[in-house]
Amino acid sequence: MTDKSTDPAALWQTMLGEMEKGFNAVATQAMASPEFSKALNQAGSVGAGAQKQVGDMMEKYLASLNLPSRGEMVDFAGRLQSMEARLDEIKAMLQQSLGTSGTVSGTTPGTAQSGADPQRPPRTKRPPSPEGEQR
Amino acid sequence: MNAAAGLDLSSIQDRIQTEVQRAIQRSIKGVEYFASSGPALGATPKDTLSSRGTMTLYHYRPMADEIYRVPILIVMATTNRGYILDLVPGQSFVEFLLRRGYDVYMLDWTAPKPEEKSLGIADYVLDFIPHCMRRVQEDSGEQDVSVIGYCFGGVLSLLYGSIVSDGPMKNLVLFTTPIDFREMTLFQNFSDRRYFDVDRLVDAVGNVPPEMILSSFEMLRPVSRGISQVQLWENIWNDDYVKSFRMFDRWATDTLPLAGEYFRGITKDLMWDNKLFNDTMAVGGRKALLSEIKVPVLHAVAEHDHIVPYAAARPLIAKIGSTDKEEVMLKGGHVSLVAGANAIKRLWPKLDSWLAGRST
Repeated sequence: MTDKSTDPAALWQTMLGEMEKGFNAVATQAMASPEFSKALNQAGSVGAGAQKQVGDMMEKYLASLNLPSRGEMVDFAGRLQSMEARLDEIKAMLQQSLGTSGTVSGTTPGTAQSGADPQRPPRTKRPPSPEGEQR
Repeated sequence: MNAAAGLDLSSIQDRIQTEVQRAIQRSIKGVEYFASSGPALGATPKDTLSSRGTMTLYHYRPMADEIYRVPILIVMATTNRGYILDLVPGQSFVEFLLRRGYDVYMLDWTAPKPEEKSLGIADYVLDFIPHCMRRVQEDSGEQDVSVIGYCFGGVLSLLYGSIVSDGPMKNLVLFTTPIDFREMTLFQNFSDRRYFDVDRLVDAVGNVPPEMILSSFEMLRPVSRGISQVQLWENIWNDDYVKSFRMFDRWATDTLPLAGEYFRGITKDLMWDNKLFNDTMAVGGRKALLSEIKVPVLHAVAEHDHIVPYAAARPLIAKIGSTDKEEVMLKGGHVSLVAGANAIKRLWPKLDSWLAGRST
């Protein structure tokens, strides 16, 4: 067997690990300076400001074309979502009152809406005894 | 054996052969990697108990014949998805709890929609968590609920517990939860109030985009992402390594946006004024004093946590009002503390032994 000191792959791995630690440490030190914070936030605020200006311009442009703005679409989506949520609630209440089980279509894979209630085990479990025996 | 060099020539030949085989495997599996999707995550069977915008409450189906009386509500961090605690069978924290006889619920988050930009800390602490606690009580038929908070989910759980101190919370478990935000030095510098105009940012973007959250996490270890790609290529012949890499990489990059007002509140109250640590925090006009928390508390911290440095988490136990409280420091980082091989042998058994006796 080659030992770690003569194994080129192991040496490469060690070097990579050390390099990562070293570069991270240097970068972390540089990022802890007020100058870095100032530069970072100047760049960030320019980006955010530009984004807002473009957004405002687009909204005016869409209004001139007689198209709904993003805000209006969002409001519309919100109303649809609240209607969907109400429907889900009604569905869950119906399932609960009928005592039915099974998944409801349109839910995330691996999930089912409330009401798909499997038989619950009794809540009688006690912690394992000091000898480690699990009840 | 080449005595002068101290090398075993036959083993070097073996080594070369292995490396050649791995190089071939890299080419084959490299193509497979890009042509296939990663493992299915978060697949433990569960039911959706409640869903309102960014908030979803799940109930996981019990896996034991007999369960503890007290159910558990896991409060996930708002920046990331809850499937880190439910990776794949055998590596799922949720599955571990279910098999050990716990009744498990999870408060998980989805991306807040543009119209949810006005959600603030008070909505999370005084609406979402109490709503989920009530739903857990109704669903389980039990008055007591144990709460497990991960990272910022821990901060929200602390705020809830300190305000609703006479509520249904029976036990509180926290994973890597910061309270002294002065000690999160890099985040402090990124959000230095002299240069960071949080009002301007939030007013401009509404919800804080996930790219910004992800960048701020990645900047804590700026070269690690590049190095991890090199390591992936080197280990691409190793199916276990690739599977694990894909799980964690997918989760780490699956960052959520943050509701604008919530982000504004975190920046001003916690990052700038450190109110939770200074006992001046108020949520929705109600004081949040950690000394008001009197339930048993376990706080697990990671030795090599680069996101929540130990100095930021250390004062928590001292400030909690409980008499039954414990901090446990385990090997690992911010994520490997709770998920993966490290967590399976360290954190999970420790949590089980702590919680079992307090769940009856």
